[in-house]
Amino acid sequence: MSKLSKDEIKVLINKSYKCRENILKMMRKGEGHIGGAFSSLDIMTLLYNKILKHDPGNPGWAERDRFILSAGHKCLALYAVLADQGYFSEDILWTYNSFNTRVPMHPDEKSLPGIEFPTGALGHGLAVANAMALTARLDRKNYRVFAILGDGECAEGSVWEAAMAASHHKIDNLTAIIDRNGLQVNGRTTDVMNTGPLEDKFRSFGWEVKTVNGHNFSQLYEVLSALPFSQGKPSCIVADTVKCKGLTFGEDKYEFHHWHCEADEVDNAISVVNSEKGKELSKVE
Amino acid sequence: MNDITEDPRKVISNALVELGAKNKNVLYISCDSSLGASGGEFNKRFPQRHFEFGIAEQNAMGEAAGFAISGKTVFIAAYVPFITFRCFEQIRDDVCKTKVNVNIMGNNCGFSVSALGPTHVILEDVAILRSIPNITIISPGDGLEYYQAIFAAAEIEGPVYIRIHRQKVKRINAENYRMTIGKANILRSGRDVSIITCSSMVPKTLEAAQILAAKGIDAEAINMSTLKPVDREAILESSLKTGRVVTVEEHNIVNGLGAAVAEVLIKENPVKMKMIGIKDLFAVVGDYDEVIDYYGLTGPKIAAQVEEFLNQS
Repeated sequence: MSKLSKDEIKVLINKSYKCRENILKMMRKGEGHIGGAFSSLDIMTLLYNKILKHDPGNPGWAERDRFILSAGHKCLALYAVLADQGYFSEDILWTYNSFNTRVPMHPDEKSLPGIEFPTGALGHGLAVANAMALTARLDRKNYRVFAILGDGECAEGSVWEAAMAASHHKIDNLTAIIDRNGLQVNGRTTDVMNTGPLEDKFRSFGWEVKTVNGHNFSQLYEVLSALPFSQGKPSCIVADTVKCKGLTFGEDKYEFHHWHCEADEVDNAISVVNSEKGKELSKVE
Repeated sequence: MNDITEDPRKVISNALVELGAKNKNVLYISCDSSLGASGGEFNKRFPQRHFEFGIAEQNAMGEAAGFAISGKTVFIAAYVPFITFRCFEQIRDDVCKTKVNVNIMGNNCGFSVSALGPTHVILEDVAILRSIPNITIISPGDGLEYYQAIFAAAEIEGPVYIRIHRQKVKRINAENYRMTIGKANILRSGRDVSIITCSSMVPKTLEAAQILAAKGIDAEAINMSTLKPVDREAILESSLKTGRVVTVEEHNIVNGLGAAVAEVLIKENPVKMKMIGIKDLFAVVGDYDEVIDYYGLTGPKIAAQVEEFLNQS
């Protein structure tokens, strides 16, 4: 079983909280989908630092693993992680939501290195990920494809069309990670439209499924190091997460799906997440 | 014109096989409806490069985009409603926004399957697709154009929508004809009126032009086989000569060929114009010939409408 050392975990915590701070600095523009960005940030941090085969200096490298953010509105997290990885300068982050920015509220593959596909309309990413994974098979390449979906997003019928196709075509170089933060725009997912039980649904669609704590780097690393879970089947990781994780006054509140904020609130938020970082680091000891 | 009559589906099937043999990057995607039509032979010849995604066109179109952005040249086919309307957002966001090489083959356009009723008779496909940036729309008029449209589509670095009619088509072009995307073809030169048309309406328009000629009306007949972009120069050149324009289409007159022509004329040569087509209605059910007669799309009825327009304008 692959395990992370305490030092490795501390590095990951420092990175993910540095990304949270950068995202909050971007939020000085007054608004953004912070809730889903913070719930999925630890997953993306682990993927880019420990799992994905990629080269920030050569984003078009043919052998790279592909990452599709199907829930495109969580892209604040992806921007922060890609900048941390060196895909582009941090200065680009501070242009967030400015006129003709390269980092808009939904990601654009033509404007920013590291973005594989433009997403934003929910329910599109898994089909695209399927085909990228099938292309690896056609071209006899070894790359893998990872997609992050939201649990609210799973109400889109097209997610299940793609889920059906992935198992039908036995796409086992594909991993879907569901960021199950339990909240969507209008409230709790169980109240708006209950997309669960997600594990049973994906299993019945022919996927091999594991459930993890989406903020526990050790757990995430263990499952993501054991892919595919079953030969000939696509892998699904249902990651239990907390919406707006790390910003305690916004945690598990649907109002923070898309936060409209004032400058002084952002300054306060930065001190809150830095305090949370200290708590997370102390838990490792 | 000669007497050769061809089945568009057979022509396309042959073209796909020929293209697939030459270009190993070409993939074919079906949605449980096209193997008996244009894709069956490709599947037999290149089973590794054929992907069946079942009755799930949103996923199929997303898959097409995923393959294409990974470097493949994709042809995807199904009945017009399912491969245009059902997956419209995937066409717009995943295929057109990314400007990838996805070639959408809409089977049974217009009244091809008129007995199946309004769910399958689609008179609005050009209308919705021509409003998306980056897409090229081709509506071939004879076997040569259907055949060449496949090769042309593969060469275009961006999405293409090819409308495929079920009715057999008469040859309207000479054997050495070479279709150019974005260029219209003048099939009959005339001085009194420009009749611009495409697809199944090309032979009907030529028949109308003959009828009009017998009455002393010299009509110019233009095959606008590329509906997006339309051939601006051809529209202007012909309309400057004749001063009056009629469009004929087996499609809603809302945002179809007529609208595309009008958008050119209103800005650059605002002459009198008439749009012949379906007047914003859902289709009646019947045999193909009965239905097009009902909507005034036969040669004699087109001729009569053109004559009336010329008398009034």
